[in-house]
Amino acid sequence: MVTEIADALSVAALSFAYVKEHKRQSIISDLNLNVRQGELISILGASGCGKTTLLNLIAGLIEPQGGAITISGSKKGQAVGYIFQEDALLPWRTVGSNLRLAAELRHELQDSIEADLQEYLKSFHLTADIVKKYPGELSGGMRQRVSIIQSLLFKPELILLDEPFSALDFYTKLRLESEFYSLIKKQNKAAILVTHDIDEAIAISDRVLIMDRAGKFSNEFIVDLKEREPEDVRGTTEFATYFHQIWSALKSNIAFEGI
Amino acid sequence: MKQASLENKIVWFLYPLPLLCLLTLWYFYTLDSKEHQFIFSSPAQVWQTFLRLTYSGELLRNAAVTVFEASIGFILGTISGAALGLSLWASRIVARLSKPYIVAAGAIPIFALAPIIIVWFGIGIVSKVALAFIATFVVAIGQAYQGAVTVEPKYLRLMQVFGATKMQTFRTVIVPSSLIWVINAMKLNIGLALLGAFIGEFISAEQGLGKMIVSASGTYDMATVYVGVVALVVISLLLTSLVDLSERRLLRWKR
Repeated sequence: MVTEIADALSVAALSFAYVKEHKRQSIISDLNLNVRQGELISILGASGCGKTTLLNLIAGLIEPQGGAITISGSKKGQAVGYIFQEDALLPWRTVGSNLRLAAELRHELQDSIEADLQEYLKSFHLTADIVKKYPGELSGGMRQRVSIIQSLLFKPELILLDEPFSALDFYTKLRLESEFYSLIKKQNKAAILVTHDIDEAIAISDRVLIMDRAGKFSNEFIVDLKEREPEDVRGTTEFATYFHQIWSALKSNIAFEGI
Repeated sequence: MKQASLENKIVWFLYPLPLLCLLTLWYFYTLDSKEHQFIFSSPAQVWQTFLRLTYSGELLRNAAVTVFEASIGFILGTISGAALGLSLWASRIVARLSKPYIVAAGAIPIFALAPIIIVWFGIGIVSKVALAFIATFVVAIGQAYQGAVTVEPKYLRLMQVFGATKMQTFRTVIVPSSLIWVINAMKLNIGLALLGAFIGEFISAEQGLGKMIVSASGTYDMATVYVGVVALVVISLLLTSLVDLSERRLLRWKR
């Protein structure tokens, strides 16, 4: 018996263009994408090819000129968590107050998220007293962990990540990737990661997509690894093979664009 | 840490030095010259005048009037200016329409408005409060609006992702992130509020430090003029330290 897995995200014939000085510059054209529940995909591509624009469109931060975005049957922009390259924790609020922000905005009872909050703090190896601190008192890695928890407490159907680990040191990055991957799989959430790091894309994705300058996906790689701990996976032969394939595709893509 | 502590001690120790040098120079310059004493007064004369005005209650009474006028004008001007400046964030069109008027209002010297205000509100306390209000209002609008429009876009993006309403964004992000600008406005406004009240008293008043200084200068009583000026400086320093205290409480997350 084949069980059909529902799509957490469905993007159909999406197009977007910026208009600058009466000139229309197409960023995304006729793009299609489906992300299944529990699937983690990564998008690689040259700078300025439209990766972040795609995330912004899915999050409802900007309006597309054409096409449709459906998130688990709801309209776009709803139930989407977005983790940015640089954390957006409000510096005048304590960590606890930042974590309760989404519930506060939704007028939810604060007690309703308390159990989840404590659970997430444990999952991301953060001590309970961190809630009393201000974001300015935390390291970059801790702030990014808090950002991820803040996003998860929003209870999103889909999580968007725009190079969230790129500013971290190598070891913190590996640990955070590992923690994030485990949690996403445990919760069966869907996630889209935009990154420039091929290693990271292979280590924590089920699928890697390459976006070209025309705002379309030119290549797709299904990542099926036996070893899935992001801290250990990098040494395997399978990993090296995927890396070689993806790098070749990305290289030809970049070469084609004349960069 | 130790070096910073030593540096603090040295700075605290040296703080009175320039003042002592000035007082010494002043003392010797006016010691044996009646002419110099007439023009510059002398530290001893100023001290005696200070004691006389304090014991008679005249200094405290005049200072209290000036502090009252400046404080009420400062509070009303800063609060209403900041509220208006922050609320301009809600509409770019209204903000653009208001801008030339705010700039024009800011360009008018408070001294030029004083005669009009005194004609409108009389020579009592109300006209001085109005002048202190006008002097602080425009600065508060400008600073608060600047704070509201220079909020980091990442915070606005987060609120958008969380589906926050405009009012929620205003309350949760715009107001707290602009607080630092409002506090800067408060710091600037202390001097401006005192100036507004002082100018009002200077032109026409029944009491206040401005009135005291004008009356004294009319009779070449330079010692009383200096006492009045020093009293204004002390009031300004006390009000500034109150704002500093509020800043430390309101922006404790910055420490």
